[in-house]
Amino acid sequence: MLEMRHIFKSFGRLRVLEDVTLAFAPGRVHGLLGENGAGKSTLMNILFGLMAADAGEIVVDGRAVRIGSPRAAQALGIGMVHQHFKLVPTLSTAENLALAMRERPGAVGLRAEAWLERLGWKLPLQVAAGKLSVGQQQRAEILKALLTTDRTAQGKSGRTLILDEPTAVLTPQEVGELFAAVRSLKAGGDSGGAAVIFITHKLAEVESVCDEVAILRRGRVVHAGAREGISVGGIAAKMIGEAAAAGPVEAAVRGRAKGPVKLALRGVRAGMLRGVSLEVRAGEILGIAGVDGNGQSDLLAALVGDLRLRAGKVEIGGRDCTRMGIRERLKEMAVIPDDRHRLAAALPLSVTENLLLKDYRRRPFSRAGVVLPGAWRRAAREAVRAFDVRTEGVSIPLARLSGGNQQKVVLARELGLAGKAVVVAANPTRGLDIAATAFVLRQLRAARDRAGGGAAIVLIHADLDELLGIADRIAVLYNGTLTAAPAKTKEAIAPLMLGMGG
Amino acid sequence: MDATFIFHEALLSATPLLLAGTGELVAERAGVIDIGIEGLMIVGAIAAYSAAVLTGSVIWAVPAAAVAGMALAALFAVVTVFARADQIVAGAALNLLAFGVSTTAWRMLQGALPTHPAPAMYEEAPVPLLAHVPFFGAVLFQQYGLFYATVVLTGVVDVLLRFTRLGLVVRALGDAPEAADAMGIRVRTGRLLAVLFAGACAGAAGAYLSTMRNHSFQLNMTAGQGFLVLALVIFARWSLPGLAAAAVLFGALEALQSALASLPGATVAIPHGLFDMLPYAATLAALTLLSRAGAGPLELGKPWPAQR
Amino acid sequence: MRLLRRVFLPLVPPAIAVAVSIGLLALGLALAKYPALSLLREWFVAAVGDRFNIEVAIKNSCPLLLTGLAAGVAFRAGVLNIGAEGQSILGAIAAAAVATRLLPGLHPSGAAISTALAAAVVAGALFAGIAAGLELLRGVPVVLSTILLNFVALQLLGVLLEGPLKTHLTQAVQSDPMPGAFWLPLIGGSLVVHAGVLIAAAAAVLAWGMQSRTTLGFELLVTGLNPAAARYAGIPTASRQGLVLLFSGGFAGLSGAIQTLGVGGHVLTPTPESYGYTGIAVALLGRLHPVGIAAAALFFALLDQGAATLETSATPLPHETADILKGLITLALLTSASLLANRRVIASQTAMEGTTKAGSAAEGRAV
Repeated sequence: MLEMRHIFKSFGRLRVLEDVTLAFAPGRVHGLLGENGAGKSTLMNILFGLMAADAGEIVVDGRAVRIGSPRAAQALGIGMVHQHFKLVPTLSTAENLALAMRERPGAVGLRAEAWLERLGWKLPLQVAAGKLSVGQQQRAEILKALLTTDRTAQGKSGRTLILDEPTAVLTPQEVGELFAAVRSLKAGGDSGGAAVIFITHKLAEVESVCDEVAILRRGRVVHAGAREGISVGGIAAKMIGEAAAAGPVEAAVRGRAKGPVKLALRGVRAGMLRGVSLEVRAGEILGIAGVDGNGQSDLLAALVGDLRLRAGKVEIGGRDCTRMGIRERLKEMAVIPDDRHRLAAALPLSVTENLLLKDYRRRPFSRAGVVLPGAWRRAAREAVRAFDVRTEGVSIPLARLSGGNQQKVVLARELGLAGKAVVVAANPTRGLDIAATAFVLRQLRAARDRAGGGAAIVLIHADLDELLGIADRIAVLYNGTLTAAPAKTKEAIAPLMLGMGG
Repeated sequence: MDATFIFHEALLSATPLLLAGTGELVAERAGVIDIGIEGLMIVGAIAAYSAAVLTGSVIWAVPAAAVAGMALAALFAVVTVFARADQIVAGAALNLLAFGVSTTAWRMLQGALPTHPAPAMYEEAPVPLLAHVPFFGAVLFQQYGLFYATVVLTGVVDVLLRFTRLGLVVRALGDAPEAADAMGIRVRTGRLLAVLFAGACAGAAGAYLSTMRNHSFQLNMTAGQGFLVLALVIFARWSLPGLAAAAVLFGALEALQSALASLPGATVAIPHGLFDMLPYAATLAALTLLSRAGAGPLELGKPWPAQR
Repeated sequence: MRLLRRVFLPLVPPAIAVAVSIGLLALGLALAKYPALSLLREWFVAAVGDRFNIEVAIKNSCPLLLTGLAAGVAFRAGVLNIGAEGQSILGAIAAAAVATRLLPGLHPSGAAISTALAAAVVAGALFAGIAAGLELLRGVPVVLSTILLNFVALQLLGVLLEGPLKTHLTQAVQSDPMPGAFWLPLIGGSLVVHAGVLIAAAAAVLAWGMQSRTTLGFELLVTGLNPAAARYAGIPTASRQGLVLLFSGGFAGLSGAIQTLGVGGHVLTPTPESYGYTGIAVALLGRLHPVGIAAAALFFALLDQGAATLETSATPLPHETADILKGLITLALLTSASLLANRRVIASQTAMEGTTKAGSAAEGRAV
């Protein structure tokens, strides 16, 4: 039995964990839930020795232990699979395992094969980790966590496996296989069942795989107990607070009059894309479903103009703009890229500067190449008010805002300042909590339904549930090929995401 | 002009490049680019010469140079690996500091020279028997001691990088420090050690210049060789055999240049500055012709842990 | 209060760096059995207590300010131009070529000087343009090409001084003296301070205006902070970075010209006193801000000027001790600025914990 007792942790003045006490029993799958920033990852980082708690203790089989490093955690049988995979991309899986296990390269093959067999997995051990698919990389990670805790797992406390949002990057089929492996590890066999800590914020997954549920909210445990003891609605209410849970994410299927075609791709071959064609009309949202890594980032880049086409055409507003640069396309097109920190904003710059990142060249923000700061500030204050950005002021660095508010700044810039005819958005709700997610989806709808000609919106989105709720039509991008979904249902779309049917 | 002479000269010139380059290559493989190699070399050169003069024996030259190189490299590591400052800029500052140190030390040493006459410096150390093999003996086995040591060191480091766990660790440090950290590898310590190794190598390469290739210290005697090392490592695509080849090729260019320049009438026809320019221009041309795709360490020059 | 924060907060890291570096140097001197404190006092007094020394320092700070600007504008846009050394040599060559060979009879002085300066700016910019072109066309990193081009420039100077620019007056390898019309006039009744001060000051104002008041300056700032986001905002980053490299080279070229037209003797030698590498340190000490760079340039020039007295003190020290101090200051500054920045980032990071997670998940896929 592994216990964490009265754990406190602060970063500067910010309390992240407050008196957290949880127990993780072997042979059970413990769902650890909470919104972003609730403290789940911090808690697990403490358990895995990546961070030190300010106060509190970790107890294994009744004995207080000190976990100062991941190695110490592994010695206690605790293994962790991070959300962000920690593999050296240039080394093979076998070499990665050897590195993690402090063994000679080549000394780990047999033990790895044994685990693969037990879990019923296939994984090429000699291929560079960077060349593996996302699902395969996750298997390598799980393998690593198992092998590094092998020696101690035989002891009485058994093995504890932490999985940090493991399903976020998987296809539905891979999710099923992962759950099967989790159940097999839980059941144990020769070495006794493992305690599995399963971090997630998808309620359906809690239902299908977890035995216990612990919910964190703002650094405190607001619920802990057996899965049967709480309803799905109860979990949602606990996660986001009773009041906020009242506004459900709407799922309206709409049939509507459509405007002219505003954006079209015709037989585009570029990067991973192998002949992609699509048309989007004014006032409609075309959802692009599919698991990341199937050409999503190339599709975004091809639309924006950041990727050279091998073949095909891009038309915006009926004009061929295949050869146009990014700047020219942006005159007609708003872009909300998914990698906010890398592509959508410059964190050290102020809120104002980020809001004006694209409009600084036009009047009234500059004249003859000379900027007019007064106009900038006025526009920024206006945008902050209109999009309800919570910030101390418009001149503080964007980095000081929360993720949700950063995304609001991006939305205000792309959807607010100038209503563009075309909107391209990729995973615009990624990493946001429920309230911020609802806000983003509302803004996209508002842009579509804008009076006087709605925007034509392409929404590249990995979250199928949200997509079903907002998109007018859905197509699936799989392995560089785009296929229109025959119906707007999960049953029709899921097989396409796996490359079946279509 | 005699081929034996030119090849012998080529290796003479290649030795410090290969030695300092081996160190730099390891540091870069571990994710740290040190453009202060030039400064480390000049400090190594003055440290070696000072040690020889002050102790009256040249045997202290190379150890003193290596230690001096490591001391400065440690400073560089504090600034870049631990304080996470920009490596390029810190390297430029390191050069500034190193030139101040070497010049100041040289001026101070000149005050001591009347009472401490310089001892005999290193001479070439022919390998028994092998030195008499026709052509190859003269080219390969009548070199300074540090040449043989460099060849052995380069070979050993290459084997370590390719086939051992240590090699995996170094590559992990440069390609994915985040992952290395998660695997319990101490990233900062690892990078520190790699930088120190580079410092020792560069320092020793400086000693080669002031106590072997030349028998005295001169201001600015490194004359850009440290910068050249950086270019050669890139040129060699972070492979040690490639680096050895590049260093020899470059040494040959230099040998050819001085041979040509010493031909009667050559200086009249072509100013010798043009010859001096040749190595740098050639390196630049090589970089230009090289294709875009680099095979460099993925996280080269980036501080860890990553900000933001 | 806001003004206080904006003006004084950026001054904290340089202040710490200077104090720590002087402390380290004093410690080193004391360990080497030198009377550290009295030497430092002598140094300080010589640097700021003597009108002539101050005037010389002001004069010498001009080329340093210009190479500092060269490094500053480039670094701010994320372009690591280490080549101010070579670019300023090209500027010196161009100025000397105009003055002694191409248009030696040019009159009046104003026309002569502006022609030479313009030639220097163009030469410096074009030389930097080589690096820009290599990066743009062949992907050669600017850091490397500019380093290598520094050596090419130095050798080129040697070739020219032995060839077309060589004087016929003496056997020495140097240029003809610049004709009087090309000499930078002394100003303010000083015996040393010349019009280069005005030129350098104008350049600093130009750089400041460009950076803080133009759309180009904004584009360069965004490009320097986050090139990918800049591209997605429609900024043509590659061409902007090429452009800033030309600017940078122009400043450096101007620096070389001021040296050639402003130093006593007015001849160009094969080892000109060039401030390219020191300019990097100056730019950092000035925190890449033109005003800061000007202050840092003056500070370094004062250090150098004061250090000259150390040679003749009771326990003589070579004047290159100043270089040690400059190197230490730069390293200390990098360290303190970076450490302070980290603290601020950690504070803001916790607020974004969720989003960083999501961001890194996206990266995970690329692995």
